[in-house]
Amino acid sequence: MSARALRRVLPTDPPVTLVHDVDLDISPGRFHAVVGPSGCGKSSLLYLLGLLDRPTSGTIVFQGIETNGLGGDERAQLRLQEFGFVFQFHFLLPEFTALENVLMPIRRLGRLPRSEMADRALTVLDSLDLADQSGKTPDRMSGGERQRVAIARALANDPALVLGDEPTGNLDSENSARVIRIFQRIAHEQGRAVICVTHDPTVAAAADVRIRMLDGAIERIE
Amino acid sequence: MFERERLVLGIAAKHLAKRRRQTAVAIAGVAIGVGFFLAVSAMMIGSQNDFIQRIINAAPHIIISDEIRSPPPQPAVRALAGTTVEVHGYKTRNEVRGIKDWQEVARAASEIPGSIVAPSLSGAITLRVGGREEPLGIVGVDPAVEQKIANVQENMSAGSLHNLETTQDGVIVGEDLAQELGVRMGDTVGATSRAGTRSLKIVGLFARGRGQFGNNGYVLLREAQSLTAQPFIINRIGVSIPDPYQAEAVAADLEGRFGYKAQSWQERSADFMTLLLTRNVIMYSVVSAILLVASFGIYTAVSNSVVDKRRDIAILRSIGFSESDLQRTFVAEGLILALVGVLAGWGLGFLLMEVLGSIKFPILGRVEHLPLDRSARQFAIASFASLTAATIAAWLPARKAARVDPVEILRGAA
Repeated sequence: MSARALRRVLPTDPPVTLVHDVDLDISPGRFHAVVGPSGCGKSSLLYLLGLLDRPTSGTIVFQGIETNGLGGDERAQLRLQEFGFVFQFHFLLPEFTALENVLMPIRRLGRLPRSEMADRALTVLDSLDLADQSGKTPDRMSGGERQRVAIARALANDPALVLGDEPTGNLDSENSARVIRIFQRIAHEQGRAVICVTHDPTVAAAADVRIRMLDGAIERIE
Repeated sequence: MFERERLVLGIAAKHLAKRRRQTAVAIAGVAIGVGFFLAVSAMMIGSQNDFIQRIINAAPHIIISDEIRSPPPQPAVRALAGTTVEVHGYKTRNEVRGIKDWQEVARAASEIPGSIVAPSLSGAITLRVGGREEPLGIVGVDPAVEQKIANVQENMSAGSLHNLETTQDGVIVGEDLAQELGVRMGDTVGATSRAGTRSLKIVGLFARGRGQFGNNGYVLLREAQSLTAQPFIINRIGVSIPDPYQAEAVAADLEGRFGYKAQSWQERSADFMTLLLTRNVIMYSVVSAILLVASFGIYTAVSNSVVDKRRDIAILRSIGFSESDLQRTFVAEGLILALVGVLAGWGLGFLLMEVLGSIKFPILGRVEHLPLDRSARQFAIASFASLTAATIAAWLPARKAARVDPVEILRGAA
């Protein structure tokens, strides 16, 4: 994925520039961390890259597709198939069990035969040591377990790109370390591109690429 | 197959299950609306059908009389039509009363398969008992045919139509008239007419409150012809046909062919038919209002659900659900509410009909039940109207759900 001359301005009065002049390449198999002070535009950049928001100007090319030209449904389909989101709060659907939450994107995609859908979801849950949590609703799980279920849901459709928005922001150090190890494994062993917005220096230290932002622009990439 | 639809329905059902009170209130609204619609329409349509049936059965479906809707042009007017001469103040030719060539008309009417044709003569006489005099319209009939064409016998409280044939100079009159004259079954009354004064014997009585039957006296056809000094004259032909609802067309056809006024039962009861139409308009207005109010309940329930679930909407959008997926989810919520409500409403409506059907009404000494129409048509109308109203009511907030900007919510939550 590559972004060129990305710019996002909120059309308020006066207009607020969230992101400007961003050129960025996200590589498969690498763990990218976006760091910077609060309000520097980290999350806004992530929403643009995740196709949840549209840039005011500039381009985002993903797998050779210029995403600005895509309609809402095509962008949704791309998110469903190729992107996985993990947020600061687990953001699981409260009425559904861990298994049902992970099944949500699988069923929506509908590529697998129905009989294999639950197997796929259980395999992903098991890979994150959550097999015994599959029947529980989020309110009966610990914070770390919930966040791992959210990661399982993000991985459900075997995405090319995993996007994290402060994924360790609400976890203790032990669970944070665990999530960091999972993200590294997703990037290095499974060959996915991972991009994580974070305040957490341990996440930044674990990443392969650190993108430092200030006032809506990239300060430097290290 | 239908994985997406099942998924959307599953999410909608879970949302509703979590919000039990709101869900129950919305369902109750629809159920009460549908239930009362069914009960009210069963009564309205039941009484309407009962009423129409009474009209249809009471008299021949078509009555051909010796009247002409507009008098035929006089020979002079016809002869001078299109010329510069205009005819005024001419003396109108005296038409002979009665249907000319009535056998011809009767034959034409009897050619309709399954029809029954009853020629009769109506006229006026005066009944006299002691010093009391009462005017009376009389109908001269052939009892055997008349019984087939109008349910005369069912409207009689004493005697029978058949008595006209077995008793010399018999007459059947209304109970009210008999009471006013102070006569009973078997008594003799004086009858004055153009042909002079004769004696008639009461051989039957019409029950009270039966409309037209009480107003006329029935005698044998030849008796009427001699009483009114119109031998061999027929001035009224009653026709019954297998499908009463064809009466208007048949009447128009007969009138077109013979020129005599042929009135269908619909035309004769046009004022009642207008009344029924008004009743139906009122009923459907009230019922639409009930269903509209029920759909407000659904609107509120779905609206609240959308507001409550803004975060979930953002999550689903980030996972890759499209705007139309979200829209469908919330429309599905409305439809589920409506569907459960309709089913409960069917039950309620059925129960109300059972209760209404069991109530007994004593009318003029007879016990009657409310005439109820329990046809599937009403169930279908109620369901269709509720589901349509619910879809519209749910569609409005669902559109809002589809337009929720996930970024706005994710940013706010972070």
